Amino acid sequence: MDLRSCFRAAVAVLALTGLCLGAGGCATRRYAVKPSEREYLADRIMRFDAEPQEEAAEQHVLTNREGAMGGSGTAGGGCGCN
Amino acid sequence: MRLQLRGALVLASAAAVLLAGPGPVRAEGDASARMTVFRESSKLKGNDGITVFHPQVDASGTLGSSLQVTAGWNADIVSGATPAVYGPVTGPDAISSATRFTDTRNAAHGGFDYMSGTVSLSAAYEYAQESDYKSHAVSVGARGDLFDRNLTLALAYTHNFDSVCNNNNTNVQGPLDLKPLPTSKHCFQNQPDVVTEPLDIDTLEPSLTWTATPRLLLQGGGTIQILDGFQSNPYRSVLVGNQHRTPQENEPRYRQRYAAFLRTAYALPALRASLSLMGRAYRDSWDVRAGTGEIDFQKYLATFLLLRVRGRYHQQTGAVFFRTGDEYRSKGPAGQYWSGDRELSPMHTILFGGKLSYLQAAQQGQALLAVFNELELALKFDYLIYGLDSTCPVGTDCGPNGDRDHAVLLQVAFALKF
Repeated sequence: MDLRSCFRAAVAVLALTGLCLGAGGCATRRYAVKPSEREYLADRIMRFDAEPQEEAAEQHVLTNREGAMGGSGTAGGGCGCN
Repeated sequence: MRLQLRGALVLASAAAVLLAGPGPVRAEGDASARMTVFRESSKLKGNDGITVFHPQVDASGTLGSSLQVTAGWNADIVSGATPAVYGPVTGPDAISSATRFTDTRNAAHGGFDYMSGTVSLSAAYEYAQESDYKSHAVSVGARGDLFDRNLTLALAYTHNFDSVCNNNNTNVQGPLDLKPLPTSKHCFQNQPDVVTEPLDIDTLEPSLTWTATPRLLLQGGGTIQILDGFQSNPYRSVLVGNQHRTPQENEPRYRQRYAAFLRTAYALPALRASLSLMGRAYRDSWDVRAGTGEIDFQKYLATFLLLRVRGRYHQQTGAVFFRTGDEYRSKGPAGQYWSGDRELSPMHTILFGGKLSYLQAAQQGQALLAVFNELELALKFDYLIYGLDSTCPVGTDCGPNGDRDHAVLLQVAFALKF
């Protein structure tokens, strides 16, 4: 394992996260959405994680049929699916 | 397969009833069962293509106010035919025959989530096994709500301790002498003709979700994955060079993969609908570069009927060592690696599909079937088109599995909440 590459990647992720938090925090203080304003956001059609089982099945197919992966939060058991 | 789905439904319902418990003191939870059928047919006569049945059963229950436990099982029942040798599509060495195969993969997982205020911690374990592959995956995650729950930061890490069965190529002179695995018959049985190769996978996935307005959600994040170990298809050979040698596929043992994504969901209350967009950029150390975009529209046709339609486009370059079969024959390998893997070739995919869900919620004071709060039945259909972008002789499909230009996915799901 290339530790230097790992370290660079981790630093990049943390820096990006800090930047997003900082930007989000600044924006949030001024434009915070109150709990009373969240009626639409509570609906299942507005949730990114509404169907984890369906998402897992879909990613299982797409990661084995395409050369890219990621962006779905469903890492799990491997398979010899090539 | 009807027996598989029936068994899965019985298991899900039993899990739901057990977790619901008797009497007035009851846990909360849900149970779901799903069957996905993937069918990729071939244009060649006598070639069955690939068919995969993928059943899933999952259940979760809340114990007290802080702890949620989850468990589940899924499988891949695979049958089909695929060329054992990746080679040219023209000339006397043209490869046209396919080798039939069947296999079953079983995977079981369990985990828990501990919630305290605005923070939750999770841990999970999954074991998967098939005739030539075993996987142990351990996952941990953390999630926190910040700034009056307007920001959610999540971080997940998974380590796979995987084992791959391979032909015993210990005494070969060089990579051109590698022999493919003829059968999985002796795998994991300490037989001298096979070896077990390790594959370690580390995956890190951070994400940040922002409640931007009362109607708009934004989410950004990424995936970093490092694979260290045997990653080739042990059964596949590649015809390389004008001496017509067919060594086992040989891919590098180390790979770093990076993806960054951004997605948004926008509520359309006047239509009782939502619109979602997603974009993803990907790159890895094998020089595969990809871009993916998706649009998703969901709308309530009635209180109990939800329709979803979506479209997705994916475009990628090939790995630096990938060549078409004709190029491998005429030019030889690109360095010391060669592969007949379609997923490492320049290609694009187009997916479009729809899903119809029947939703039933308990009315005030009256549970469904005396136990459940919600019931869902869903039917989903996706159509996936493959476009191979390799430079081919006129009138030929020279990319890997060029005879398969589309696949269909059909999914039936059943879920209960209590």
